Amino acid sequence: MNTDRTKQFIGFLVIPSFVLLAAVVFYPFLYNVALAFGNMNLNKIRDWQFIGFRQFIKIFTEPSQPDFYAVFGKTIIWTVVNVAFHVILGVFLALLLNQKIKGKAIYRTLLILPWAIPQYIVALTWRGMFNYEYGSINLILTKFLGMPAVEWLRSPTEAFIACIITNVWLGFPFMMVVALGALQSIPHELYEAAEIDGASWWHKLRTITLPLIRPVMIPAITLGIVWTFNNLNIVWLVSNGGEPSDRTHILVSFVYKAAFNFYSFSYAAALSLVIFLLLLTFSMVFMKQSKATEGAY
Amino acid sequence: MNRIIYLHIKELWLHTESRFKLVAVVVLLGWSVLVLAMVGCGRKPDDPRRIVIWHQMRPDEQVILHRQLAGYMAAHPGIKIEELFKETEMLRSAYVVGALAGQGPDLVYGPSDPVGVYEATKSIRPLEDLFSQEYLSAFDSTALLRYRGHLYQIADKIGNHLALVYNKKYIQKPPTTDKELINLSKAIQAKYGYVAGRPNVYGITWNYTEPFFFIPFYTGFGGWVFGEDGVTPTLDNKSMVDALNFIRQLRDDDKIVPNEADYEIADALFKDGKAAMLINGDWSWAGYAQKGIDIGVAPLPRISATGLWCAPMTSPKGYSMNVNVDKEKIPLLLDLLKYLLSEECELETAKALNTAPTRRSLYRHPEILSNEILQNSLIQITHGKPMPVVPQMRAVWDAMRPSYQAVMGGARTPEQAARDMQAQALRKIKEMNE
Repeated sequence: MNTDRTKQFIGFLVIPSFVLLAAVVFYPFLYNVALAFGNMNLNKIRDWQFIGFRQFIKIFTEPSQPDFYAVFGKTIIWTVVNVAFHVILGVFLALLLNQKIKGKAIYRTLLILPWAIPQYIVALTWRGMFNYEYGSINLILTKFLGMPAVEWLRSPTEAFIACIITNVWLGFPFMMVVALGALQSIPHELYEAAEIDGASWWHKLRTITLPLIRPVMIPAITLGIVWTFNNLNIVWLVSNGGEPSDRTHILVSFVYKAAFNFYSFSYAAALSLVIFLLLLTFSMVFMKQSKATEGAY
Repeated sequence: MNRIIYLHIKELWLHTESRFKLVAVVVLLGWSVLVLAMVGCGRKPDDPRRIVIWHQMRPDEQVILHRQLAGYMAAHPGIKIEELFKETEMLRSAYVVGALAGQGPDLVYGPSDPVGVYEATKSIRPLEDLFSQEYLSAFDSTALLRYRGHLYQIADKIGNHLALVYNKKYIQKPPTTDKELINLSKAIQAKYGYVAGRPNVYGITWNYTEPFFFIPFYTGFGGWVFGEDGVTPTLDNKSMVDALNFIRQLRDDDKIVPNEADYEIADALFKDGKAAMLINGDWSWAGYAQKGIDIGVAPLPRISATGLWCAPMTSPKGYSMNVNVDKEKIPLLLDLLKYLLSEECELETAKALNTAPTRRSLYRHPEILSNEILQNSLIQITHGKPMPVVPQMRAVWDAMRPSYQAVMGGARTPEQAARDMQAQALRKIKEMNE
């Protein structure tokens, strides 16, 4: 078969995927970019015009309620704290489950449960649990631990912590499953050789386990960061749309509110483009710095 | 042309290795899926016998609607009506986005306040040319929502308003003033005792995260959300400060309301008998009766300091028509609307849900006149104020919510909150118009 025909054949094979991607990824993305340079809002929803970089200038220079930089800072805290807990808890539990323990299948199932429950249910259940007077969290704190009740949903900091607690609970099983898969792929001979050499548990963890699960964990962490950064459901539902006083927003809930509560579609599109560029830059730098694409062996 | 393509593919096939043939089969299947998907996703010609309604009705309202639609379909073989529930905010957003894309349901049902947004986005069509004056004259004037010179919604319920709901197990005679309310609440709490400093039965509760539930207090102290022009917010004034101070006092000094209550908590407290009174809307009352609670409904009390009744916002709830509906389909939709807005359907709804009907003839109906809850609800409606339908109302809600919550959380003084509300509302309205 000559080269031209081969190219035609390959093109023929690729077209369905390309068309689907164009319809569900490229077109919405390009439309979002176009909107970001426009002025679409409630009053100009059908006859919006291009206005250049004005929406971006507004994001970075004009005061907003809540403040863009405060929300951005909160988003960083939200992402770092969540992913740190996801990874630490996930790897810790994976290490435990990788041991020879009785009833391992039951523990594994129980630990994956948070992941199996729909996020909406989890968020609303936790919101109920954080109620000041009747929520189980405060009942445990006051009745069993002798601590004062916390105003989880009434104070901005506590409400934000409540969102983080919920998302930590929801997110660690993913990292645990990924880490467990990576742990099970490590050849046992490596540990046997290390034991013969007299290596301690810590030494084996540091020199065998962690380096060998790194190629799997780095992409998982990158994914985790992107997902957490963009996790609208938990913040929106646990804090009931940014309560109290719009002080629990992260960038993505801020975008949602701008688009669907205020109909500031172009402002929201510009903000979502900023989020996209932030995450794209981060992912590229992180993957490069962590040498995630390099093999472990 | 087809022959050439066939030969081309045949030649490729004969010269291709078997593993690639497998891949090709899979990809051809992909092509088939793609073609089918494109056919499926394209806008189908509107089936003139299929009607789609989106609504935000609560479960007990849905039961009635479902029954009425089933009756209509049984009487009109071949017509298929699909109803879809969406939560109020989601209904508004999804409807606007759908209508902008030339899609969406044929009819959208809900309270009147999004009509301003629907009009601004040109997503609903005027109705005045579809109904005769004679037909429209049978409705209470508040049921016919006119905005910017056009009729955009016809309601089957008036009200959608808050009132004082009380549990007759604790209260025989509901309070008529704020002082009576406070004294009665304290007496109930004293009677049923406290555990760990918390009353076994709270005097009263309501959702105090949403400013909609705060409006009766604001109006009770003489305030209103807009000035005389109907679009300029009026939130920074003595009425606002007094109203915020009043509800803070109920919680922090009188201690007759829970420390924290959103809609679900307030609702659960009342259902569990842990609150003697509740401020909630007409949509919820039937549910309490179904739970076996012997409820009474009374107008919200008068504020002694001003002599004014606490006036909730009232709004009609009804049907609007999608701007994208084909002309040929309109007669079918009109027939359905006339059925849903008929005396029979409205009476059935009013009896089952204790909601105020919109057909004037029903106000003299014996079953309406003998319904104590409904009669008190109608009194409450007369005390109420119509909810503005202008899009600026969204800016007011969004400006009020954070500051209101900040006051309840102790993070802002009422004076500061009033100033912030006003500044935010003005800023958001400016942004909306930019």
